[in-house]
Amino acid sequence: MQNKLLEIKDLFLKKEKFKLNILSLDVDKNEYFVLLGKTGSGKTLLLESIAGFETIEGEIYFEGKEITNLPPEKRNFGFLYQDFALFPHLNAEQNIRFSEKYHKKNEELFNDLVKFLQIEKILKRNIQHLSGGEKQRIALARAVYSQPKLLLLDEPLSAVDPTMRNEIMKNLKELPERYNLSVIHVTHNFREASYLADRLGIILKGTLLQSGEAKSVLKNPNSIEVARFLGFKNLFEISLLGFENSHKYFSIDPNQITTTKTPLKSDYCFEGIIDEIMGITDHYKIFVNVKEFQFFIKTPKRRFEELSINKGEKIYICFNKKDVVFI
Amino acid sequence: MKRIFVFLAAVIVLFLTLPLLKLILGVGFDSYMQTLKDTEVINSIFLTMKVSFLATLFVLFTGLPLAYLIARYEFFGKSLLESLIDIPTMVPHTAAGIALLMTFGSQNIQGFLESVGLGFIDSTTGIMAAMMFLSAPYLINSAKEGFKNVDVKLENISRSLGASQFETFMKIVIPNAKKDIINGMLMMWARGLGEFGAVVIIAYHPMIAPVLIYDRFINFGLNYSAPVAALMIIFSVIVFLSIRWLNNRCNK
Repeated sequence: MQNKLLEIKDLFLKKEKFKLNILSLDVDKNEYFVLLGKTGSGKTLLLESIAGFETIEGEIYFEGKEITNLPPEKRNFGFLYQDFALFPHLNAEQNIRFSEKYHKKNEELFNDLVKFLQIEKILKRNIQHLSGGEKQRIALARAVYSQPKLLLLDEPLSAVDPTMRNEIMKNLKELPERYNLSVIHVTHNFREASYLADRLGIILKGTLLQSGEAKSVLKNPNSIEVARFLGFKNLFEISLLGFENSHKYFSIDPNQITTTKTPLKSDYCFEGIIDEIMGITDHYKIFVNVKEFQFFIKTPKRRFEELSINKGEKIYICFNKKDVVFI
Repeated sequence: MKRIFVFLAAVIVLFLTLPLLKLILGVGFDSYMQTLKDTEVINSIFLTMKVSFLATLFVLFTGLPLAYLIARYEFFGKSLLESLIDIPTMVPHTAAGIALLMTFGSQNIQGFLESVGLGFIDSTTGIMAAMMFLSAPYLINSAKEGFKNVDVKLENISRSLGASQFETFMKIVIPNAKKDIINGMLMMWARGLGEFGAVVIIAYHPMIAPVLIYDRFINFGLNYSAPVAALMIIFSVIVFLSIRWLNNRCNK
């Protein structure tokens, strides 16, 4: 319990027709927490609520103290917007140093940030003359320079040139340890999430559906909505497998299904009719209709050519229990 | 099509500029020199500029908060309030003068204003009120547009960095809406210079330039009023253009 930095209980916020309702969310000290969700799922609104930009119902605790109604300037959380929101009337360095009037001036931290984010050459520039990646680094430096214990990042990589992303992702991952802070990073990008997150939350339609260790959440979705969102394919009711357990659905990876003309000795084999075959450069996508359920199978090109199958033909699809994910 | 447009545009441009040029060029050099030596004229022009400036300052302190509230927040009656602000631009100026006279010229208020050394009827306070009433919308609306163009995210970031709401307003909002605010001030000030209808009802004296021009026209004729009018226009245009030039230069 000592390790808890931020705690959210029953957060509720209604904005026009959108409702944000987060029953419970915790972030630990020096943790990199990623909130993964589609555009319009309420991720930004949640970050703004945590920062104090929105008035909410519910409770937010920071280091054990309630901060629900504390104004943003009293919270000392760093914030980075998707479009960076740099102050247009100030140059890069003035942007970074803006917080000096309200917090302690810290030349050592300033120099360290300049070195860490490699921004020495652009410090005197007008922000109108910066590229997306440069703006991002200035905005990040500005947020970290205010010495927050919690850094809130709203889609920080979406407006950055793809060639710069890996470099910046590496920087971001180093932040908690280097500057002794926690990060809540909001994104719709799985790759970002799986690389950066210590823990991960999935937010859809204003509700936090699942949170936990990043690897565990990405591998084991706890609801069909999360599974769909995470891109799990072949999601069917468990009764199709011929038994029942505490789960309602299962999913099978399209790469783990074998297609054959005669049944194989595997845990599950179904007879079906080929609905469609699509040739992609190095593999084939095969859609097979089994008892009105359509399975999607990926087969390497060579294997497909050996099979010599056609649309409308009968075929067996087989897979093993160890590859099945129960939801 | 372009030719027809150029022709039509030329018609209106000529219509707008010809009378001013005719007035300014029609007055002889001697008349200008004589008028420049006429202290009543010079005092009156400076009084006009000064009072219009004071009116603009007053609206700057009261109108900016109003413009910001309208630009930033949604509240009941907001569109009604926005229409109310625009009403002075459509009422006849003499009607506005009567309304002001009935409100502030009443014995109680006039008495109170006199007791604090301001007065209303036949005083600069009255002139200021008339100018303010009719030209405040120019400043308020311009500032409103300026504030709307400042991204609310800038304010959020400023506060997350430790600045209070008021500090954010002063350090982030005002600097980024500066151009529209100054343009609005300029429009209001310039509009105030020309105020006649309302002023003449409240305060014939001290004479501001538009009243003086009218007074000379009625009592002495065109030849005596034209140099005053021309001089007033020249002075105003010089101030107006220099401030606008500076404003554009600083905001590049």
